[in-house]
Amino acid sequence: MVLKHFFKPIGLWVLLSSMSQLALAQGREITGKVIDNKDRSALSNVSVIARGTQTGTQTDSNGNFHFTVPASIKWLTVSAIGYSSQDIDVNQTDHIEVRLESTASSLDEVVVIGYGTARKKDLTGAVASVQEKDFNKGTFTSPDLLIQGKVSGVQIMSNNGSPGAATTIRIRGNSAITGTGQPLFVVDGVPLDGRSLERNINPLNFLNPIDIASIDILKDASATAIYGSRAAYGVVIINTKKGKTGETKIDVAISVGASSALKKLDILNATQYREAIQYWGVDPSFDKGGDADAQDAILQTGWQQNYSIAGSGGNENGRYRFSAGYLDQDGIVSNTSFKKYTGDFSANLKCLKSKKLGLDLHLNSSQYIQEGSNISDGNGGSVFFALIWNPTVSLRNKDSSLRMSPAENVNPIAYSQYARDNLKVTTLLGSISPYYKFTDWLDYRLLLGINYSSGISRSSTDQALGLWPMIFSPTGYASIANNELTTQQITQTLNFNKEIFHELRLNAVLGYEYMKFTSQGFSLSASGNDATGFGNYGIDYTDYIQFSSQGSRRIASYLDPISELQSFFGRTIFTYREKYLLTATLRADGSSKFGANNKYGYFPSFAAAWDISKEDFFKLSFINSMKVRIGWGKTGNQEFPAGSSQALYSFQNGGGLRQTNNANPDLKWQSDRQYNVGVDFSICNNRVSGTMDYFNKSTTHLLFPSPPIQPAPPNSTVQWINLDGQILNKGFEIMVNGGIIRQENFSWDLSVNASFLNNNVSGLTVPLYTGDVGSPVEIIQNGHPMNTFYTRKFLGLDKSGQSVYEDDGNTFYYLGDPNPKTLLGVTSTFRFKKFSLTANMYGAFGQRIFNADLFNWLTVYGIMGRNMALSVYENPVKESLTNPAQSPSSRYIQNGNYLKMGNLTLSYAPGDIGKAFKGTNIYVTAQNLFLITKYEGFDPEVNADRSINGVPSFGIDNVRYPSSRTFIVGINFSL
Amino acid sequence: MILNLQNMRRPGFVLFASFILLAHSCTKLNEDVGANLTQGQVTTDSSYAAILLQSVYSSLEWTFTGFLEIFPLSELTTDEAIAPTRGNNWDDNGMWRVLHQQKYDPNNKVVHDCFNSLSGVIYAATDMLQYKATARQQAEARFLRAWAMYWLLDLYDQVPYRDPGESTVPPARVRKGKDALDYIIKELNAIEPDLLDGPANRANKYAAMALLMKCYLNKHVYLNRASPAPPDPADMNNVISLADSIIKSAHFTFSEKYFDNFSPTNDRDGKENIFTQARNFDGNYAVALAWILILSYPQNGANGFSTLSDFYNKFESTDKRKGFAYNYATSPPNPGGRVNVGFLIGQQYDLVVDTPLTSSYTNQGNPIPVVYTPDVKNVEQGANIEMPGIRPIKYPPDWAHFCVFQCDPATNEFVYLRFPDVLLMKAEAILRGGTPTNAGPYGSSAAAIVNFIRTDLSRGASRLNDVNLDTLYNERGRELWWENWRRQDMIRFGRYLKPFQQKEATSDPKYLLFPIPYEQLGVNPKNLVQNPGY
Repeated sequence: MVLKHFFKPIGLWVLLSSMSQLALAQGREITGKVIDNKDRSALSNVSVIARGTQTGTQTDSNGNFHFTVPASIKWLTVSAIGYSSQDIDVNQTDHIEVRLESTASSLDEVVVIGYGTARKKDLTGAVASVQEKDFNKGTFTSPDLLIQGKVSGVQIMSNNGSPGAATTIRIRGNSAITGTGQPLFVVDGVPLDGRSLERNINPLNFLNPIDIASIDILKDASATAIYGSRAAYGVVIINTKKGKTGETKIDVAISVGASSALKKLDILNATQYREAIQYWGVDPSFDKGGDADAQDAILQTGWQQNYSIAGSGGNENGRYRFSAGYLDQDGIVSNTSFKKYTGDFSANLKCLKSKKLGLDLHLNSSQYIQEGSNISDGNGGSVFFALIWNPTVSLRNKDSSLRMSPAENVNPIAYSQYARDNLKVTTLLGSISPYYKFTDWLDYRLLLGINYSSGISRSSTDQALGLWPMIFSPTGYASIANNELTTQQITQTLNFNKEIFHELRLNAVLGYEYMKFTSQGFSLSASGNDATGFGNYGIDYTDYIQFSSQGSRRIASYLDPISELQSFFGRTIFTYREKYLLTATLRADGSSKFGANNKYGYFPSFAAAWDISKEDFFKLSFINSMKVRIGWGKTGNQEFPAGSSQALYSFQNGGGLRQTNNANPDLKWQSDRQYNVGVDFSICNNRVSGTMDYFNKSTTHLLFPSPPIQPAPPNSTVQWINLDGQILNKGFEIMVNGGIIRQENFSWDLSVNASFLNNNVSGLTVPLYTGDVGSPVEIIQNGHPMNTFYTRKFLGLDKSGQSVYEDDGNTFYYLGDPNPKTLLGVTSTFRFKKFSLTANMYGAFGQRIFNADLFNWLTVYGIMGRNMALSVYENPVKESLTNPAQSPSSRYIQNGNYLKMGNLTLSYAPGDIGKAFKGTNIYVTAQNLFLITKYEGFDPEVNADRSINGVPSFGIDNVRYPSSRTFIVGINFSL
Repeated sequence: MILNLQNMRRPGFVLFASFILLAHSCTKLNEDVGANLTQGQVTTDSSYAAILLQSVYSSLEWTFTGFLEIFPLSELTTDEAIAPTRGNNWDDNGMWRVLHQQKYDPNNKVVHDCFNSLSGVIYAATDMLQYKATARQQAEARFLRAWAMYWLLDLYDQVPYRDPGESTVPPARVRKGKDALDYIIKELNAIEPDLLDGPANRANKYAAMALLMKCYLNKHVYLNRASPAPPDPADMNNVISLADSIIKSAHFTFSEKYFDNFSPTNDRDGKENIFTQARNFDGNYAVALAWILILSYPQNGANGFSTLSDFYNKFESTDKRKGFAYNYATSPPNPGGRVNVGFLIGQQYDLVVDTPLTSSYTNQGNPIPVVYTPDVKNVEQGANIEMPGIRPIKYPPDWAHFCVFQCDPATNEFVYLRFPDVLLMKAEAILRGGTPTNAGPYGSSAAAIVNFIRTDLSRGASRLNDVNLDTLYNERGRELWWENWRRQDMIRFGRYLKPFQQKEATSDPKYLLFPIPYEQLGVNPKNLVQNPGY
């Protein structure tokens, strides 16, 4: 503190002049300060050495140092753990300010694991931690995309391109024959329900990425077992930002951008259509003389703006942070958009004179509105109608009105104007957590959490669409549905962290958790009144639904069976001499969902780690640290509807009561057993670090919605059972980060992660079918990966244009599967003075995709008034129009390999501008800049819901909302 | 809470304290079922029986009134009906074509859906029987169960069943062939005393008797469908005596007009109806599909089913069952007196203003006249997509409730059993070796009975001189067309496997039965056996 004042400009000059005299003598005094280049915080215990000598010192708690170096010394080497070291030229100066850059992986980094935190170097399980600075850059409606391509073993894929779309996340392969297969999300200690309010909407949409400090992914069972019967697919822990001590700091982020379609489908244009009419010799009256590009007509430039402001401050006794955000993003398909308002507040308080009592508060609120929420997955939306539009039919009449005729297909522009489907979701996530420190090694914490979300869906079709009465109501249609999901939570933990014997430390937690999940809602729908229909008054039909015909009104309401979860858990971590680690966890989960015979499940895990590099016998000097880990554990999954284990009687429309489900009192959780062997290493002066893991995950007692054995309750489609069978996922993951170039003005960091996955099913007594494209096209069968494509083998067209199949199409073959064999993620950052260029690429290889668009909608029959794929027209063999009506076959199974430039960002950080703007950063980002793939659809990242009886499909493309390429300009600064 | 630091050093205290904190909030984890009822709640008293019974009736609705389950299996497989593939429509991967070709396989969706629907009725009825109910309520449930079992026997020869309260986890037991038939007969005899005389839209005594007649009449065929032994005269006499009981009750008589039995007011006017489905607002009552599935697009239909010309030609020109200009509740004025029910053939007219109808839906938008032609093929293409096929309209359309989705259901009650069927069954039993009896005004010989029906003013057909099994077979067709009996009749009269219009081949005998769906074989391999040949 004193030194700081002392080295004000005048003082400095005095010192320098006195020092220069000293320099002529044997040594000179060098002083300086070392700070973190990112947040300008002082770094203590940093080593400062005269290069090439042993003379050196360390910085104090304020980051300052001073020592005497020999006169001939020209360079100092400054280094610290977790930072890239620097060589500083002290030829011309005796005082330096050093700004160190932190490296990608820091072993001292604190990682959030279940119900506690640990330093990275103390971990025994496979845990990946991604900090905010490493998040993907760009605009994302949900935080899962922030880590896409960043973590080995984790595949994250947008199901389609609409803003707010759900994502498919698979950690270490696919093992879900029912349910979503998504990992458990925990936001600041509150595990989320996991259900979404509407099909294909992302349940994480309520979070604002700007509020997130880091995301930790627990991959192996020794890390996830503490979450027990919900953790089988992995756990993703999202940590929001908290207040920092210090003066109040306000962070502002503003960005604007524009999106356009990344890729359009190759279908015929008007000229090609006319040629095709001749080519196939069909009735020339199919050529209506116009020239329309229906895809272009429904695509638009999607403008977006994103604003946020956050403030934090406080002192050791109370820190706070608040934030507010607004995102307004238009989709690239007309009349689709996503708008979100978020607010977040957190406070960390310490009370009592002894400061032993603390209180953590967090409240996150958000509301988002998604317009055009349900136009993907072949729902007959505007993209669908655009694909099947005859390109020789003009979309508009001469007077610019839309051309709509019952003899023609539905005009896609008309659909996008006259069909509405909006979803408004309001979410509150709050927690209040008092804690009491009995001593510094024992504390007790109570967490009371609530997560409430309410979704209102309003959809309608204008009676103008009644021109097509087979599809749309001639009097118009309106529907309103509301669904509320509530999670209530009480968690109590007792934390113990003390050196219990000489060099033996025990970090233990003992806990109890109770959670209650409720889902309730109602819906009403109606068609317009018989006399006039809903009409054309410029008002949304859902706002005057009483103007409907009485006979058309449908109402329903529900309160789902309430699900309760009660758990006891504990974890012990023993650390001996900072090199030997042993972890054991156990969780007992009791769920009201489980059958009476299996109410409680027990989930243990064990793991050990050995920091070999700390041993005396370890002589490899280029390896700075190397830790070997091994772990084993059991987790479970309970993703079946509450009420499945006992008989339920439900009230029917118009009177009547009957049993509606097939009860199974023996129903229990799906079981996972996983073991993991891994190595964490850091070499070349901590310039290169990485981790490698081998895992073997076996899933048994497969939760399966079996067809009920008749006689069974009418309209019941499912009997939940635990199926005999096993799904085995095994693989190898590797992640390496390196500071390849480290110069004063220029640096290049490269981070690569790759995963190699293998999936196999065994032990089933009957195969399961899914992937409904008209008939099932995927199978879950012994000896093959999950969702293997199982259909006819297409050999080509014969000379007369007829399809030829292996064995005449009577035999089905196993024809590849949609699970990737290899995942790849590459992040490359170049820094030149204040500029930096970051590129994030990711890809997946070895998977195949079923292109249902080619199969269902863009066939050769399209020449008779619809449209067809260009590849059909350009086929060297002319397909015959009498080629029998389409059957699924390998003709439509395509290579799904891809490599995508997820985001490319050029940023300029001028730092402080004037007195007001601190830490300014101006950037330009391109999202989805390019896509390298052979796949013919909109995007190989696709997952349409083509499930059959609750068995999910994978890798099927059915009228996907197109992907966008986005350019964003933004600025961040602090006040 | 102030803790003594001394105590803190003893680990025992810590554990004890934590145990207290953790243990106080344990719950029992009994599942709260939200807005549903558990079995325990439903057993409390007999007030639940009425609403449970209502759901049993409800579970029968879709499979019959939806015209997409029982109807395709019982009619599209015969010479009476066909669902042509019209261009892009009604292809459905050949699901309908294979029915008419009699080439169905265990993957067929209609076969699967029908099996599940009928089994669902068995479950709903059986489930209700475990709760307190009156004898009449139980009898009604048992009748509906017997009805569903009968259809499973007729179509699949295998009837899965469960006991009241039996869990759905273990594989259900199955009765086959004779065992299934004996059980149904036993049930019907047992419940008859507890059933009331009516109304027709609830399970009643005469419905039980009529179903019993079906059992006895078909028994010799169910024992061996491919080559049945001659029927046991005792069975035929049972048929006759049951018929006589129904006749002597004087409960049924001929309606004034043939189509009164199917009209929107048939609950009042359908004097021949023995058992019908009551109109229901639960969303499963879809009788409007009886005309919507058949009419062409300009008539607001889906242009599906038609009949075949050979069948149409079995009617005399004066036979009113063929159709006529029918004036009924909600019917449009029909100033031109056009045929608006029965078999629609030739140019169709707007029934309000009597202009000839045209269609712009196909033929690339150029209007063509709506003219239903007699020649129809399995697959229609090109200019012929829309019009070929005589359209049979058995249920006069309820113009006040023309649609089926998002609107109130039509008021026509769906007809399961009718009195003329009882008379024809008596006539058939006489021809097959039963002893003739005299009951009512209908006569004691097959010829007398058949001619009574034909010459009644509501039918207007001529007398037949010779009534043998062949003419009786055709008469059943003329009287009961579109009422789901054709397949059963064709099998009993040995006609089913033979070629008929748009089915050129003689079918393999295995097709006398439908296959058990793959899905059920997969989950119940122990007790379900695939029917021979599949």
